[in-house]
Amino acid sequence: MELRKNSGPLKWVLIILVVIFLAVFLLLPLFYIVITALRDGIGGYIASITDPYAIKAALLTIRATIWAVVVNTIFGIAAAWCLTKFAFKGKKVISTFIDLPVTVSPIIAGLIYVLTFGRQSFLYPILDGWGIQIIFAVPGIVLATIFVTFPFISRELIPVLTAQGTDEEEAAALMGAGTFTIFRKVTLPHIKWALLYGIVLCTARAMGEFGAVSVLSGHLRGKTNTLPLYIELLYQGYDFTGAFAASSILVILAIIVLALRVWLERRGNKEAEIHY
Amino acid sequence: MSDNANYVELRGINKHYGSFQASKDINIQIPKGRLVALLGPSGSGKTTILRMIAGLEHPDSGEILIDGKVVNNIPGSERGIGFVFQSYALFRYMTVYDNIAFGLRVKKTPENEIKERVAELLKLINCEGLEKRYPSQLSGGQRQRVAFARALAPNPQILLLDEPFAAIDAKVRLELRTWLREMITQIGITSIFVTHDQDEAIEVADDIIVTNQGRVEQAGTPQELYANPATPFVVQFIGNSIPVKNYDQFQYFARGGPDTVAILRPEFISIFKKGESVQFSRSAEEGVVEDIIFRGSNLEIRVRLHDNLISAIRSINDPFVEVGEVVDVFIYRLFVVDGDRVTMEYNQSLKRESVVI
Repeated sequence: MELRKNSGPLKWVLIILVVIFLAVFLLLPLFYIVITALRDGIGGYIASITDPYAIKAALLTIRATIWAVVVNTIFGIAAAWCLTKFAFKGKKVISTFIDLPVTVSPIIAGLIYVLTFGRQSFLYPILDGWGIQIIFAVPGIVLATIFVTFPFISRELIPVLTAQGTDEEEAAALMGAGTFTIFRKVTLPHIKWALLYGIVLCTARAMGEFGAVSVLSGHLRGKTNTLPLYIELLYQGYDFTGAFAASSILVILAIIVLALRVWLERRGNKEAEIHY
Repeated sequence: MSDNANYVELRGINKHYGSFQASKDINIQIPKGRLVALLGPSGSGKTTILRMIAGLEHPDSGEILIDGKVVNNIPGSERGIGFVFQSYALFRYMTVYDNIAFGLRVKKTPENEIKERVAELLKLINCEGLEKRYPSQLSGGQRQRVAFARALAPNPQILLLDEPFAAIDAKVRLELRTWLREMITQIGITSIFVTHDQDEAIEVADDIIVTNQGRVEQAGTPQELYANPATPFVVQFIGNSIPVKNYDQFQYFARGGPDTVAILRPEFISIFKKGESVQFSRSAEEGVVEDIIFRGSNLEIRVRLHDNLISAIRSINDPFVEVGEVVDVFIYRLFVVDGDRVTMEYNQSLKRESVVI
C-alpha cells in the first residue's frame, strides 16, 4: 500500500513505457496490416481474400486446427487426469515430456517428422504400401500442428485438477458411481472453464503455426498451403496487398480468440467465486 | 453368520507405502452399534486403518471382515459404508440437495423416494431450507452436517469419519461433538472415527483404539484407558501427563529399577494452603508455587517439588494461592513405567493409614 501511495511518478513512467512498447510492437504493425491490405481499395481486399487459393488455405488451416483441438482435447484430458489422480513411476518424466513442444523449435519438430515418415524412414515402405502419404501432404500438416499444440490443454488442466485433489472422486466412487459418472458429474464441472480456455489457446496456436508446418507441407498451392504459408508465398512474390489481406483474416481470428479468452476468464472466475 | 461382538474385524493387517510401514500387524474387533475412536498422533497409521476398512486402500496382508465376511476383494461401494472425509469432499458443483441425493441416484432410487429421504435427512441435520445452496455458501458446521447426511443417505451399516472436527473452529467443534454423538446414538449405526485429539476421543467415543507408529497400542473404553494404561505410550498420550525421573525424592514412594520413570497427572495431586487440610498435614510435602494458569472453570497450579515442576488442579472456589507461596503437596498415586511395563503405585502413607483404621 505504501508503495502505491508514494510512487505517483513511477506509476506514470511505467504506464507510458508499457503504452509506447505496445504501440511500437503491436499497434503499429496491426495498423500497417490494415493500411496495406486496403491499399488497393475495398475491391482489391475482397478480391484478395476471396481468391480460391486463399480460401483453400484458410479451409486447410481450419481443418488442421480442428484436428489438433480434437486430438489434443482428448490427449490433454487423459494426460492431466493420469498425472494428477494416480501415483506411478515415471510420472515426472511424462510431465516433462509433455512440455517439450514448448521448448523445441518448431522447425526441429517438422524435421523430426520428415525423418520419421520420410523416404529414408523404415516406416515409409509400410505406409506407402497402405497408400498413406504423410510428408508433403495434409496428414503431415495435421501431425505438425498437433505436435506444437499438445501441451496447451493438459497444462491448463493440471493445476486445476491438482488443486481439487482426489477426495470428491473418492467420495463419489465410495457411493458406487462408475468412472464415467464420476468424470461427468464431479470432474468435468470442475475443469470446464480451464478446458475451454486451453482449447482457445490451442486454437490460437494451431491457426498461426508456421515453422513445423512449413517443413512438412511441401508448399503445394491449393493443396498443402495453410494460411500462414500462403501469406509467406504471396509476400515472397511481392504481392503485399494479397499477403496483408490474408494476414488480416488471421488477425480477425486472433481477435475473436482473444475476446473468447477474456469472456472465458470472466465466466470461470465468476463460477469459482460461487464454488470455492 | 452375524457376530455382533466382531461386526468389523481386522486380522493381522500389514500395509506399506514404499519403505514406510503404515500398519504393523493390526488386530481390531469392533462390536455392532458401537462408536469407536481411532486415536493417535499424526503418522500413527489411524487414517490408513480407516481407509482400508472403506476399501480406499488395500492391505498387503491380513483380512478385513465386515459382518463375518472377508471383504478384502469387495469394492468399497459394496461394503455398506458411509464415509465422511476430513475436508468433507462435498461436491462443489452440486447443491446441498444434489450432494445428499448423489448416492441414491447412483443406486437408481426413484426420484420421489430420493426427495423424501433428502427431506428427512435435512430435518435430521437441522439444515432445512438450505437444499439449493452450494457447499461454499455454508458454514463449516453446516458443511460437516451435510457431509454426514450425504454419507448416511444410502442407509449404510457402518459410518466412517476421518478427523470429522479438524476443519471446524473451536467453539463450533464442541457443539458438533455433542451433536454427532447424539446423532449416531440415535441412529444406532456402527461408527468409527479418526482423531488425534484425546479430549475428542474421550468425550465422543464408547471405545478408543490407540495407535502409535503403525501399531495398536491399546483398545478399551475411555475409563479403562485412563485407569489402566497398558503401554508407556498410552500413559503419556492419554491425560495430561508429567514425566518425573527421580520420583524417589517424593515421600512414601519407593524407586523401582534404575531406568524407571514416573508419570504424574494433575488429578493425582492435591495442593493445600498451609493448615488447610488436617487429613494430609503430616504426610504432605512442601512445595513452592511457580505459576498459576487460569483455565476458566478451574486453576492449574504449577508447583516446584524438590527438583520437579508438577501441575495440580484447584477449584476456583478453593482459598486462593499465590505465586511464591509455600504449599502442602500430596501425591495420591503415580504410574511407574519400567521398560514396556506400566504399574500404578500408591502413596504408602495411604496404605498405612488404612491399616491403622
